[in-house]
Formats: sequence, C-alpha cells, structure tokens
Amino acid sequence: MSKATKIHIKQKKRKWDLFDVVTAILMTLLAVIIFVPFWNAVVISLETTAAYGRNPFSWLPGEFTLDNYLYLLKSSSGLIMAYQSTIVITVVGTVLAMLVTVMAAYAFSRSFPGKKFFFMYMVFTMFFGGGLIPTYLMLKGMGLLNTYSAVVLLGLVSAYNVIIMKNGFESAPVDLQDAAMIDGANDIQIFWKVMLPLQKPLIATFALFNAVGYWNTWYWPLILLNGNNKTVLQLFLRSLVNNMSFMNHSKASMSADLTSSFSQGIKMAAVFVTMLPIMLVYPFLQKYFVKGIMVGAVKM
Amino acid sequence: MKTKKKGGKWLSVWKARYLYFLLAPLVIWLTVFSYVPMYGILLAFKKYNARLGILGSPWVGLAHFRRMFVTPAALQAVVNTFEISIGRLIFEFPIAIIIAILITEMRGKRVKKIYQTIYTFPHFLSWIVVANIVTNFLASDGAVNMLLQNLGIARVDFLASKSFFRPLLYITSNWKEAGWSAIIYMAAIAGIDPTLYEAARVDGASRMRQIWHITLPGIKTTIAVMFILAVGGMLNAGFDQIFNLSNNVVKDVGQILDTYIYDITFLSSPDYGFSTAVGLFKAVVNFFMLVAANQIVYKLTGERMFG
Repeated sequence: MSKATKIHIKQKKRKWDLFDVVTAILMTLLAVIIFVPFWNAVVISLETTAAYGRNPFSWLPGEFTLDNYLYLLKSSSGLIMAYQSTIVITVVGTVLAMLVTVMAAYAFSRSFPGKKFFFMYMVFTMFFGGGLIPTYLMLKGMGLLNTYSAVVLLGLVSAYNVIIMKNGFESAPVDLQDAAMIDGANDIQIFWKVMLPLQKPLIATFALFNAVGYWNTWYWPLILLNGNNKTVLQLFLRSLVNNMSFMNHSKASMSADLTSSFSQGIKMAAVFVTMLPIMLVYPFLQKYFVKGIMVGAVKM
Repeated sequence: MKTKKKGGKWLSVWKARYLYFLLAPLVIWLTVFSYVPMYGILLAFKKYNARLGILGSPWVGLAHFRRMFVTPAALQAVVNTFEISIGRLIFEFPIAIIIAILITEMRGKRVKKIYQTIYTFPHFLSWIVVANIVTNFLASDGAVNMLLQNLGIARVDFLASKSFFRPLLYITSNWKEAGWSAIIYMAAIAGIDPTLYEAARVDGASRMRQIWHITLPGIKTTIAVMFILAVGGMLNAGFDQIFNLSNNVVKDVGQILDTYIYDITFLSSPDYGFSTAVGLFKAVVNFFMLVAANQIVYKLTGERMFG
C-alpha cells in the first residue's frame, strides 16, 4: 500500500513530457469524435426544419422546438405500443434471466458428480448452434411465432455470464458456507441466505446488462413479430426511418428539401427516446463494470 | 470427499440434489433452445417439405453444399466475409489494445474517468440506434459533408459508395466497441506488478520502452485469448452492423454469409434446406477456425484458451 502511494506521489510530481502531451491530445480527440455525432443528433431533434436546412451542424439548436417529439407522440401510436412491449419484455426477461443465471452459476461454483459434463454441455453452445432456420422451425412447432414470450425465452441465458458469475461465487470465502453447512442449512438455503447477499454488486451489474440486452433486442423480434400489432422499440425506430426514406423518395420530385429535413428531426427524436433509458441507467452500469465484470473474465 | 463404498456415487448424487435443482432451469433451457434446434441441422441434407416435417422430408445428400459452391452470390458472400473479418483483425483488434494502454498512461484521474465514460457508452446502444446516428452524421447533406464543403472539398456520399463501405464498417465499429473492448486489456494492465515499472524508471527506460518491455508482455495472455476468440468468430463478420448500414448500392462489397442467409430465407422464395446448409457451413468453419487458432497461438506463444 505504501509503495503504491509513493509511486503515485512521484507521478504527480513528474513534469509533463512529450509522451503525456501526445497521449492527452489523442485521447481528447477520441472523446470528441465519439461525442460529437451524439450531440449532433440531439441538437437536430430539438430544432426546426428550417434551422436544420440552413445548417446541419450547430452546437446549440438553431431555432429551439419540441415539435419533433410532439409529432412522435401524437401521430404515431406505434411508439407507445412499442415502448410498452419493450418495457414488459425487459422486466420479465431480466428477472427470469437472472434467476436462471444465478442459480446455475452457484451450482457450478460447488462440486457435485457430473459437474464437468454439465459445464461442457453449456460451453459447447457458446461455439456451436443450430442456426436460424432450425430455431425458427422449432419455435413454429411450439406455437411461439409472433409472441413476446419467444423474444424473452431466446435471450434468456448467456453462457458467458454464467461463467463470470460462477467465478464470482468461487471467490467468496469458503468458511461462511462451511459454517452454514454445520448449522444444518441445505444448499438452497446457503445459496439464498448466504451467497446471494454477498454477490449483490455482481448481480446488480448483470441485471443491468441483461436489461440493456433486452432493451436493444431486435433480431428475433424482426423475424418473429409481424409488426402490425406487435413490435419492439428498436424495430419501431427502424421502420419509422425506413418508411420516412420511402416517403421522401416518392415525394422527391416535389419538395425534396422540406420532407427530408422535416423527417431528420423526427428521426433523431426517435433515436433519442430509444436510447434515453440506457443513458439513465448507464451511470449505475459504469460504476461496476470495470471491477465487477472483468474479475477473472478471461478464465474459463 | 469421494467415498469408496459401494453405492458411494449415488450417495454423493443424493447429497447434491439441491445443486441439481438449481442447475435444472439452465440445463432445460440449453436443451430446448440450443440442442433441440441442432437436430434441425438435418435439413442441410434434406429437401424440406413443410407437410412432411424435418424428419419426413427426403434426403438429398450433399446437394445443397454443392449448390452453394456453384452459386456466385454465395461464393461472393464467403469471400466478403473473410475479407471483412481480416480487415477487422487489422483495423479493429489492435485499436482496443492501443486505447487501453493510452488510457492507463494518461495523466489526470478525473479527466481519465470522464473520457472512459464517453468511450464505453456507445457499446450499450443497438446497431439500429448507432446506424441512425452515423447515417445522420455522414449523410450527403449532413454535418461531415457540410464541413468538407466549408473546407472547399467536394461532398462525398459516404453511405452509398462501394469504396467507402468497408472503411465505414471498421470506423463505426471502432467508434462503438473499441472503448468497451479496451476494458479487458485495462484490467490485465492493472494486474501487472507496479515494481516492474519502478525498476524500469530507475534504469532510465523511456515510456515507450516500458510499454514495449513490460506492458505488452504483461498482457500477452489476454491478447492471445482475445485473438483466438476473434478468429473463432471469423465467419460472423458483424451481422447487426452490416444489416443496418448496408444498402443495395454496396451489396457487392457488404454481403456477408449471415446477411446472405437472411436474404435467401426471408426476401425471396425460401429454400430452408439450402439456408440451413449455408448456416451449417458457417458454424463448422467457425468451429475449426477456433480450434486452429488455439493451436497456432499455442505453438507461437505458449498461450492458449483451452486444450
């Protein structure tokens, strides 16, 4: 500890050299490159058509307006429906996914006959699967086409998460388990009363990861949901943009400028409402992911 | 712990009954959603008929695979997939390592934290959202083109240009994922013994030399594992990104196996047998690439992921 702080003090005293300057410039440049396209999108969503037409990039909205957001709310009932279904999928999916993941991870952190077999049974699926058509036909056979249940079920387990979680449980002190065992607790009681409370940070992190995963899901919904009466937020955004480009295309001869810039604001408003919840949970995610997730992540 | 008594094995199974109970949901899920579909792989060797089902449909042997190797569009997709994946190994794989090293070397704790917050954020967005942000920014009447025009350079249609499409893939993929991928290397760097750097400083080693002789060797294992995984996913080539960024103009250079499978399955009259065969080809090649990469990296560096 004292050694580390000493080094730290030394570094603070050290003068900036060329290397430090170059690093600082490169890193700042990278931050700007990542930030500016976001900001551009947010600004466009908050300005009028005319302002966007005059200048596609400004640091603050040329003429401030909320019309793009109001249009989204009023004239497309699809947004509300997509939001609702996405929230339900996210909540239900996250709860179920966490249950399955945490239970399995705890079991894998203990020893029992057949553990190696079951572990390989899981790891194999990380590298090999049936593929699109067989999965689709199976869902069809189960009557799960055009259902939200299929979307929830398909995203339920990530073997990778189970492995990291298992490493988390393994790093917990063994004495606690032994003590509980001597007190006559069975494995489920130990899991529920001793181990789960210990792993709260890790579980919170994974719950957020799962939630983000479900929030962003679109591939299977695109294939499984018919779009008219069932959709998810990501697909709503996709179809909104596609419909608009189509609209612009057909109206191109009349007033290309007007339609394209009008829709640009609405598009960016849709982008913003789609990523807003992620922006809200991101600070909580970030707090944990460096230490929580990467501890022994590479180790199988 | 192992009892050598007769029936000892069953005793330890009985003792672990609660653990099996905890494991059961995972095993059931894996069976239903990963292993049951694997039997559908039979379709790759059959002519699918919805009335007869997977088992009842007639066998066609390797006909679908033969067809794949004489279909120009399929071959084009295979070539594109390899080219794009190799491009990613060159233009994306090292970037995360460089970012990780630069972040750790950077001065100023608070700025560092803010920058890292910015770098990792795009990872949590879907490619649908990112594609929209990118398309807006690079559109022919968008921000970048306005800048080019102000600088007196001709406007470029970045999104509908064959020559720009692949660089666009590498740049946007780095934009979204490089900061996130850097985390794993940062964790590895954090695990390096700090006294090594101290000793090097005393010996008068420059920062570049410290990176070359201490940091890089210190994260060798992590680099090896990530490389093996990248090669093992070589035939994936990034469906989500390409599906959301491509258009008809760039199809020639952007069609990969996964988008090809999607197209032949959902856009034209589908042949499920053929689609499954292409998918199986992809999965098998991926699997062998993974094993081969593991062996080659082991031979070269003594590091490996499994085996």
